[in-house]
This record gives sequence, structure tokens and C-alpha cells, in this order.
Amino acid sequence: MIRPDTSPPSPRRAPPIASGIVLCVLAVLYAMPLVWMVFTSIKPEDQAISTPPVLLPTPAAEAPRFASENYSAVWNDPSVRFPLYLRNTLIIAALAVSGMVVSSAVVAYGFARVRWRFRGVMFALVLATLMVPFPVVMTPLYSIFRSLGWIGTFKPLWVPAWFAYGGGLSIFLLRQFYMTIPRELDEAARLDGCGHFGIFFRIILPLSKPALAMVALFYFNYVWNDFITPYIFLNHQDQFTLALGLQLYQSQAGNTPWNLLMAASTLVVAPVLLLFFLTQRTFVQGVAAEGIKG
Amino acid sequence: MRAPRPTARGERTEPVWTGLLWISPWLIGFVGLVIFPLALSLYYSLTDYSVLEPPVYLGADNYRHLLHDSLFWTALGNNALYAAVFIPLSTAIALAIASLLARPMRWVSFFRAAVFVPSLVPIVATAMIWLWLFNSEYGLVNQALRALRLPAPNWLKDPNWAMISIIIISLWQIGRSVVVYIAAMREVPRHLYEAAHIDGFGRWGRFWHVTLPMISPSILFNVVLGIIDAWQVFAIPYIMTEGGPGRATYFYTHYLYDNAFRFMNMGYASALAWVQLVLILALTGVAFLISRRLVHYSAA
Amino acid sequence: MSMAPMVITRRAAIAALAGSGLAFAAFGPRGAKESVAGRTVIDYWEHWTGHEGAAMRTVVDRFNVSQDRIFVRYFSMNLIDQKAMVAIAGGDPPDVIGLWNFNIPAYSESNAIMPLDDLADRFGVRRENYAPAIWPLLTHAGRLWGVVNTCGSVALYYNRSLFREAGLDPDRPPRTIAELDAFAARLTREGKGRIDRLGFLHTEPNWWRWHWGYFFGGSIYDPITGQATAASADNTRAFEWMQQLPLTYGADAIAQFESGLGNYFTPQHAFLTGKVAMTNQGPWLANVINRFKPDLDYAVAPFPVEERLYDPSRPIGLLDCDILVVPAGARNPEASFEFIAFTQQQDQVEFLSTVHCKNSPLASASDRFIREHPNRYVRVHDSIAQSDRAFHFPRTRAWPLYRSEFDAAQQRMWTLQSEPADELLLLQGRVQSELDRLADRRRARAGQRHARFTGHPGGPAREFGA
Repeated sequence: MIRPDTSPPSPRRAPPIASGIVLCVLAVLYAMPLVWMVFTSIKPEDQAISTPPVLLPTPAAEAPRFASENYSAVWNDPSVRFPLYLRNTLIIAALAVSGMVVSSAVVAYGFARVRWRFRGVMFALVLATLMVPFPVVMTPLYSIFRSLGWIGTFKPLWVPAWFAYGGGLSIFLLRQFYMTIPRELDEAARLDGCGHFGIFFRIILPLSKPALAMVALFYFNYVWNDFITPYIFLNHQDQFTLALGLQLYQSQAGNTPWNLLMAASTLVVAPVLLLFFLTQRTFVQGVAAEGIKG
Repeated sequence: MRAPRPTARGERTEPVWTGLLWISPWLIGFVGLVIFPLALSLYYSLTDYSVLEPPVYLGADNYRHLLHDSLFWTALGNNALYAAVFIPLSTAIALAIASLLARPMRWVSFFRAAVFVPSLVPIVATAMIWLWLFNSEYGLVNQALRALRLPAPNWLKDPNWAMISIIIISLWQIGRSVVVYIAAMREVPRHLYEAAHIDGFGRWGRFWHVTLPMISPSILFNVVLGIIDAWQVFAIPYIMTEGGPGRATYFYTHYLYDNAFRFMNMGYASALAWVQLVLILALTGVAFLISRRLVHYSAA
Repeated sequence: MSMAPMVITRRAAIAALAGSGLAFAAFGPRGAKESVAGRTVIDYWEHWTGHEGAAMRTVVDRFNVSQDRIFVRYFSMNLIDQKAMVAIAGGDPPDVIGLWNFNIPAYSESNAIMPLDDLADRFGVRRENYAPAIWPLLTHAGRLWGVVNTCGSVALYYNRSLFREAGLDPDRPPRTIAELDAFAARLTREGKGRIDRLGFLHTEPNWWRWHWGYFFGGSIYDPITGQATAASADNTRAFEWMQQLPLTYGADAIAQFESGLGNYFTPQHAFLTGKVAMTNQGPWLANVINRFKPDLDYAVAPFPVEERLYDPSRPIGLLDCDILVVPAGARNPEASFEFIAFTQQQDQVEFLSTVHCKNSPLASASDRFIREHPNRYVRVHDSIAQSDRAFHFPRTRAWPLYRSEFDAAQQRMWTLQSEPADELLLLQGRVQSELDRLADRRRARAGQRHARFTGHPGGPAREFGA
């Protein structure tokens, strides 16, 4: 179920001492890697590997200068072209996310609002495809895309999304959401002479904006994070995504200094975190909705 | 929250093709990108195929070769070890964290965010961050351990610690299941706790006899997803250890990838893929069977 | 956290993010799609990066201005041997690829690259132009598959200052394995389970984990019989010798020491900082030294061998070369080869070899090349390259698997998880079964039609890029 948290505002007590300490330790353990990544990225190379470790560079006032040096070194690296990879990632993400939203919105309607005979069986199949992970089909897919002449283009990375490939959870989420929309609205529209398309466009879609946003958000996150798919289907360095670029940056002959590697990692992580903090509620509700099946 | 069954409220069942038309995008994708590849893969698995040469039919030769292939067993064993340790451990830790964070209190959203955010970090970035943290000379982890006068292992270079390192990294990314458990715990009706309290159950008793049964469907969901995910582990060990040291972190998908795209042995890779599929189906089947006896579906 | 005004600003922020993302996607930087109207465009993927890649770019630029019919687009990429194979198999190949010579068997036997005998003949690229050891590295099963890009042999680099400090004669490098051990023991500095310096470290660099047996008279593959020979007595002795180091100082202490060593092309390189006093390296190491520590007092000698094998006139060492190949499915093999032939001219070869800091693959080097070479010991490398006991990577299609298995085996021996005798025997068995399988499949294929590209069962063959 997706619904706003309507529990009455309970008196917010501070946690009891014991669990408070446990929570603080937990928060430090979970937050430290990211914090350390950011602070490593604003140090000069020799300070990054200093013993004992310190959080801030010395002199701390110079931090902005160190940061701009590191980040511009990463951004302008001649052989690993992050600006280009960012653009590629955004192109793929725009095409794939719109495909996933459109296709799963339509398909979920067929499962939630059209009554037909094999609906249950088919929906079970949708959930069953979750059991077929990508590695199982990666070899034959490679062959198929090869005979379509798609290897070396972005197509293998976004066309499948238009056919709801890998969209089992998106369809599940949207179907759940559609079911919460009262059927009386459909009936009223039907009396006005609307068919399924009319109902879909006039009633279901406008009311489902939050759920569609959630699907978009999740899928964007997936595309942004994906490594193995682009790793197999993209061979040309000019077509790399950020994830591939980061791995390339790390594997360069002679290897990369830690401070620059962390700066590059921060560039890849930052957009995801920014998006999360802006859409925290949607994110958390979506994850929860996926998990409470019955 | 079951799908409502078609009621007998005079709801007319519509023609099948209407339904098929609406789900056609998925159906085309399902046939073209799942069923057909699986069939193709089954065919390839019976051949010698390197993409650049025509497939040669071999019968069950690839599968026979599997049985004697020590690398296959190594990768399978590593993966099984990872799944057997990680799934129970992550379930226990996620439940523990969730039960701490399910209660309303001050700063709770901050703590929840701290635990959840790492699960959003892209996999390659995760690998980079932990390569740095686990560096045995300059890494933060070992610097901290040395400061505490504890032994500082060579995390990724030591065959006994490499797998543990991979598991620790996976534990850093369990935020998703924590959120699911928190949501499930908040759905548990309060009156059940009150009743248990009256029956004289302590905090543990309430968790054991009320919370766990009530959220068992979510646990099953997470365990099933965990099984599927465990067989897909690839990027982290591939980038961080290249399957080493000495194959200690060589996972199944890594071996599949190597065969398909490094040794150009697509036929054999397809056989590996089918074995993987059968294993996943079998394991999820077992999980569902066990859950039949344990999972409690509330009448909500 | 969700007061009404917040929601609006949040919406605005998300919209701004999405908008700028789309704008960047639409108008962001573009890839190198440079080309010159009316010219045949050749895509060339090269595995060199950094200054080595830049040197090749100079050669490409020279070629592009030398004529007006062909334009070469140059991309330097990492992990090329994996990427190139996947790209060729996917029907999206470049026109020229810079690979390593050990790729030839796997690439040629799976029809991924074209035989070049006819083209080489027409463009005057001939065997006698090169040092005697070079041509065999370019051929496989009687045909020519690649042309040399650069080559280098591997030798022992030792730190003369540290020799003096340890009371060793800096003009008398170790000649035998026993001497190497004795010198290394005197050069090592360690105490309380912590190592500060090692006289010699087998894993610095860790690029040829399989090759120690050759200094003991062994080899790991017999090309005549097609047998893996990893477990021969000579190899076993070699890896027992290698294992002495972790046995002596402790696998943990060694791993700790290794993780504190700097990367290859940095001032923290182990040989430059003196953390390792002797190292087995190619001539290119002089580039690192000249760049970061030009005053380092060092010398070069052939790598020590077992006593019974010592013969200063016939040094033993690894000879490796990089190659240029034309992938199957290249759009215009003629044009591809015209560019490759250009790179074979003496001045281009010597320019590349100078910048890469390697010995020249040609039959004779110009005086200027030797005189001005950045590595003053280039003659030592040359003598190894010309030696009849120079060895090279095993040439078998199973090499990718062999190597990956060997790396894992070496790691297990290095971390004291296994005894060399057992480990090498298991390794040999595994690799041999793969070699046998490949031989079986070759026989099964013998009756088959040999199409250059085939489509799917049921689909017609498709030619790409025609």
C-alpha cells in the first residue's frame, strides 16, 4: 500500500540511552564510508594517504582550492571523459525511464482494470520473470542484439525498457496503486461514453502521478547504477556510461591516486544522493510498498 | 493485500484480446527478451559456439564437462557460501536495525536516512569507496583497527578475509530491506502488543511472538529477493579482487561472464546460465515451501 | 519535514535537476566524430594510454597529414583485448586494433582477425626487416596475423646505491638464482614482523606470474605436442623458490608490505623509493625513473638463472611485443593496412620505441636511436631480444583461461595456501583438459563450412559495416 504516513504526530521522545548509543554507532558505521569519500576528495594526494587519518586537509582554509584542483582534474581528464559519459548516461536514462514508465503504466492497467480470463496466470508470469536474472539471458541477448546490428549502439540499453523488460516490480507497484482508485470513477466515465483508453487517460493517469514518479525514480536509479549491461553492450569508449567510466578511471595503467578516484566517485554518487534527499518520502514509501506483499 | 477476486457483482468479464492488448508491451518483451533468449540459450548450451564461428552441435557435452570442471565447482561453492552466510546474517541485522528504528522518536528520520542511503550508491562507486577503505596500509578500516591495537588484516589480499570483505560491503547496502521491515512493523496492530503485554510477555517475547509472525511475509519477500540477488553478484568482486586472491571471491556470474566474453565460449556459458536458472528456481521453491509452514498471513 | 512551502521548493528543485539533466543530454559534449570529407575513415583502437598512447597519436597525426585519402580516428582504451573481442563478435569492429602478441592464437583461431600475408607482401612488410625473434611472435599456424607495434624484453634492474650500502659490488649483478637470493638477503631490511625493504620481490611488478620456471630451464607449454607443462620438475623448483619469500618473512607481512607500495607510473614506485632493491622489469622502467627520480643510480643485467644454465652470451628473458591487427569485418582492409605499413617505417618505429622507452624490433637500429635512447641500458635488452634463449608468451587459444588459472594458482602459492608441487599438478590437469576439449572441438569443426560470420540458426548470415 502506498499512502501518506497519517499516524498522529506522537510525542517525539529522545531514544533511551542504551539504544541511543547503539543508533549513533550504527549511523557512524553506515555514514562513514560516504563521508570519508567526500573528505578524501578534497585533499592533496600526499595527505590522502597520511597516517594517522585526519578528516580535513591541512591547512583547512585551502580545502576549496584542493577540491577545485581535484575535481577539475577528474572532469577534464583527457582519456576518461566524464562529461561525455555523463551525457551518455543521461541520454540512456531519459530514453529508458520514459519507456519503463509508459509501458508499465499501460500494462498495469491491463492487470488492474480490465477483467479477462487469463489475467491471474499472466500476472503470475510477470512476477515469475523476476526469477530470471540478467546473467542467465545475457549471452543469448548479446546474440540477438548482434543480429539486429545493435551492438555498439545505445539501443540494447533502452529499447527493452519500452517493452517493460525488467519491469516486474514497476508493474506490481502500479497495479497496486490503480486498485486503490475507486471503481465508481470508471463507471461514471463509462456512462459518459469513455472506453478503456478514455478511462486510462482521463482518470487513472492523472490520479497516479505519485506512483508514476516513483517508478521513474526507481528505474532512473537502476539505470544510473547499472554496470553489467553497459559493460557488455557498449564497446566504444565514446559511448561509455558513468559507471563504466569510473571503472575505467580506476583501472588505468599506473592507477589513479586515491584523492582523484574519490572525487570521481563523488561525482557519480552525488546526483543519486541529491535526488534521494529531494524525494525521500517517495523513495521510502516505494520500497516499503514493494516489500509488503500479501 | 490480495488482488480482489472478480466478484459476482455483475462484473462482466471482457474478451481476452482486450486484456492481451493492454499488456502487449510486456508480452512482446516477455516473449522476445525472456522466453526466446532462454530457448536460444538452451540450444547454445548443446553446442560449441563462439559467436564468430557457426555453432556445432555437441549434445550434452557442455553439461558433462561442467561436472568435471573444478572452476565451476569453485564458483558454485563460493556463491553458495556467500548466500548461506549473507542471507541469514543480513536478515538478522536488518531486523535488529528495523526494530530500533520502527519506534517514533527524535531524529529517527536522520538515522533511517543514514542506513538507507548506502543502498542507493552505484555499485561501481561502492567498489571504489571500499577499495579505499580496505586498503591494508592507508585504508581507514585498518588505521582504526591499529589505533585500537587490534589485528589489521589484509582485507582484499588475504584469501581468508576477501570473502568476508565482500559480505561486509553487502551488509553496508541492506538499507532497502531495513525500510521494508520498518514499514511492516508499523503495520502491526497495536492491540496485539497490548494483549501480549497483558499476557506477561517481555520485550523479547513480544518481538518473537507478535512482531516476527506478523511481518513474516516481508521476510519471505526479502529472502527470495536475496537468493536471486546472491546469484547475480558480479561487479563488486570483479572490480575489487578480480575473483582473487586465488579464486577466493570468484562468483558464479563472474565465471559465466569470463566464459562468454573472455574465453569466447558462449555454448559453455549458456550451459552455466541454465544451471544457474534451475538453481534459482529450486532455491526459491524451497523458500516458499518452508514459508508455507512459517509465514503468517494476517487477515488484514 | 514536509511543510507546504518546502514541497514547492522541492518540486522546483526536482524540476530544475531534471531540466538541467535533459539539457545536458541534449547539448552536452560530443564524442570524437571528427572526420574529413572525402576520405576513407579508419577507426583505430589502441590499448596504450597516458604518454605511451600520446606517442601513438603523434604517429597517427603524421599519417593523416602524409596523404589525403585516408583519415585515421584514434581511440586509446583500457581492457582492450576483452572489449575488442566482444566488439568484433558483436559485428561492430574497428578497422585496426592494437593488441598483445599473446592474443593472436585465440583471435586467429576464432576468426576474429584477418590473415595479413598478402597485404604485408604488397606493402613491403617482410620478415628480414625485423630482429630474428620478432616474426615468430606475429605468426600462428603458418600465417601472419599482426604487425609489430613495439617490443620489449625483460631484465633485472638493480639499485647500485643500495648495493654499495649493503657492501655489495655495484658492478657485479647477481648471475645465478643462488646469488640473487644471497644478495637479496643482504639488501632486505626488516624487524618485528614489519618489512621496510626487500632485496627482491617476485610480485613487483606482478605482470608475468607464470614465467619463473623459464629461469630454471622449464616452460609451461609445449607448442609441438600441445601439452601444458606447468608441473614439470623445473617449474616446480621455480615456484618452490618463489614461495621461499613468504615462507621466510610470513605471508601477512609480505601482503602488508605490498599494499604500501606505490603504483607503476608514480614517484612512489617501489624501485624508485628503494623499497625494492632489485626488480624484474622491461626497458620502459627508465621512463618512470627519468621522470620522477633522474638521479637514481641503477644498472641492468639479464635476469639470474640456475647455475647450470648460466651463459652470458645467451641470456634468458621474456620477449614480448605489441601488435597491430585488422579485425574480421573491417570495412576497408587495404586502407587499414596502408596505415599499419606507415607505422613500420624506421623513423616511426624508432620514434615510438624511444618514447615508450623500448628496444627496437627492427633488424638494425640507427646509431642515433641507440645514442639518444632514454634507457642507457637498452643494449642489455637488445641482447636478450636477439638471444636464442629469449622466451615468449605461450601461444595457444587456451591462453586466456591458462593465464587466469595461473594467476589464481600463483596467488594461492604466494599466500601459502598450497604447495607448489600439488598446485601446479592440479593447474596442469585443468588446463590440459581445456586444451584437449579445444582440440576435440577443432576436429568436430573440421568438417564444417568455415564462414567468416554466421548469423543465428534460422537466420541468414549478416555482414556488417559493408
